[in-house]
Amino acid sequence: MSEMWQEAMIAAYREMMNRAVLFLPKLMAMVTFLLVGLAVGWLVKLLLMHILKVVRFEVFCERMGLTSALAKGGVKQRMSDLIGRFSFWVVFLFFAFMGVDALDLPATANLMSAILGFLPHVIAAILVGLLGILLANFSGEAVLIAAVNAQIQGARFMANMVRWGVIIFTGAMVLTQLGIAKEIVVAAFSIIFGGIVLAMAIAVGLGGRTIAKEALERRLRREKAGDEFTHI
Amino acid sequence: MEDAVWKAVQEQCPDAHQVDLLIALPSFNHASTIGSVLKAILAGLNASFANASILIVNADVGSQDGTPDIVKQTVGDLVPVAVIQPLGEGSSASPFALNRLSYSGMPGREEAFRSFFVLTQRLQAKACAVIDANMRSVTAEWMSLLVKPVLESGADYVAPVFRRPRYEGSLTNNLIAPLTRSLYGKRVGCQVGGGYGFSPKMASTLFQKKFLWEGEAARFAIDSWLTTVAVAEGFQVWQARLGAKVQDNKAGAADVATSLVQAVGASYHYMEHYQDVWEKPTASSAVPEVGKPMETEVESTPIHVERMMKGFRQGLRDLLPIWEVILAPETLAGVLALGLKDDDDFRFPLALWVQTVYDFAVAYHEKVIHREHLLRSLMPLYLGRTSSVVLETRGGGPEMVQHTVEQGCQTFEAMKPYLVDRWRFQ
Repeated sequence: MSEMWQEAMIAAYREMMNRAVLFLPKLMAMVTFLLVGLAVGWLVKLLLMHILKVVRFEVFCERMGLTSALAKGGVKQRMSDLIGRFSFWVVFLFFAFMGVDALDLPATANLMSAILGFLPHVIAAILVGLLGILLANFSGEAVLIAAVNAQIQGARFMANMVRWGVIIFTGAMVLTQLGIAKEIVVAAFSIIFGGIVLAMAIAVGLGGRTIAKEALERRLRREKAGDEFTHI
Repeated sequence: MEDAVWKAVQEQCPDAHQVDLLIALPSFNHASTIGSVLKAILAGLNASFANASILIVNADVGSQDGTPDIVKQTVGDLVPVAVIQPLGEGSSASPFALNRLSYSGMPGREEAFRSFFVLTQRLQAKACAVIDANMRSVTAEWMSLLVKPVLESGADYVAPVFRRPRYEGSLTNNLIAPLTRSLYGKRVGCQVGGGYGFSPKMASTLFQKKFLWEGEAARFAIDSWLTTVAVAEGFQVWQARLGAKVQDNKAGAADVATSLVQAVGASYHYMEHYQDVWEKPTASSAVPEVGKPMETEVESTPIHVERMMKGFRQGLRDLLPIWEVILAPETLAGVLALGLKDDDDFRFPLALWVQTVYDFAVAYHEKVIHREHLLRSLMPLYLGRTSSVVLETRGGGPEMVQHTVEQGCQTFEAMKPYLVDRWRFQ
């Protein structure tokens, strides 16, 4: 009995030691991946921030209204810092997933391929989001200035409508790109936008008919009168 | 383009290898006016240049009303005449052509001028006069006024000056001319359109300088930069007093904001190119003038400033976040204080206006926001300054307005170090 117990103990110990011997290199590979990820991520961050500084990316962001848009959203960091930090985490996570994959655990068997498959969607969504914010600010600014120069009283309201319209549209595109509740996003977007346009059409057609008529008449009368002198 | 234009002229006038004078008319559906313009030109040529060899060239950009036929009928056999089509290098498809068109009122005007410059070079003409085909006030004297300074006095560029009511050309008088004077040291009126005189030297220089026609410069109508480039390049600039300016499809009749974008944008644009020229301190000097002295007129209808004031106040309310980016803090503080004044007491101080114009120039250079947005956001401030000038001077005569304009020019000159400092060290 004691022999059997002894053999069982030894077998279990051997089994565990065998597994440990097999697992340790994988663990070391994961730690190595993490360390390399930290180093490469840090290097990529430094390099990217240097390039952004050389091409005066901050000035570009300020000009396009991206910095002020982020500030309004409570983000006080510079855009190049954010991109640097983001690049660090992308590289680090990339190495971290490779490390997890190196462990060869059944639960994480397809983790790396799944993540790599999804990565293009994430990058596309980020680009769409950035471009959308730039376009929203640019269009909002253009509408605001044009409306002020035309002396339209609701200039700021019009500009905000355009800006938020583009932002909402961008948000919907980002979610669709990420594949998050695709059908719901499309349906919600169609309902909201369709609803707004219909509401505006009804409001102008019924409620604001007289106001629209007066505004048009005022505008046409003023255009006929023109300025009292030429400016050039 | 050069060869096509030259070939077209050679086909119509095989004997025209060398001429003394090139008289050029850009046109587009100007059948109603071009006949009388040509009659005045022919009378002027007959009176002042009877012995000179002359070629009249009409660059027509696709008139549908028979303008080229009228040109040929009117000139007949009196003087050799050629009608050409200025073929732009894809310029008609340029998205910027619309802004230029709004400003000049004529498509393909820049290409027409380029064609005239090429022909001046090829024909070895001693002078080239360009007359707008839509002018109703051209007289026979215009030929002598635009051409003689080039032939007899060594002028390279003869710019037009017209008699006009005291507040007319407010943007030119309160911004463009003072800015040009302070930058390049020449007291020029910077009026545009109607008629110009060019020496062969100026014509060939303008044609050869590619930066005038390509890239960002292609956004600006030729009238918005001709005088600026002439003074910046150091050409001998003269001014011809041409009397009244009456024309169809008035240049600058586009909305004020578009005119402002064209005129101010061109000035700011060439500030970047000619930085080495204007950064040097220069005292201004007058340019020679020809023609009878002209009286400034009083406007026939009273000027109402309420609408301009409203535009300024709305800008103050809505465009503040944009101005915060463009203006220096002390300039912005000065502008904000203007919002507290009643309409009757409203005054936009001259020094503050000059500082504003210079701040916008620096912001344009630094590209702090999209350049077209920047220029358009100047509009309410310009309306504020213009209403202030009207309020300050409406009790006085035309001399008072002229005095205010001259004061403006002097202040622009005096405050130039502010611009240079900000431009260099911003």
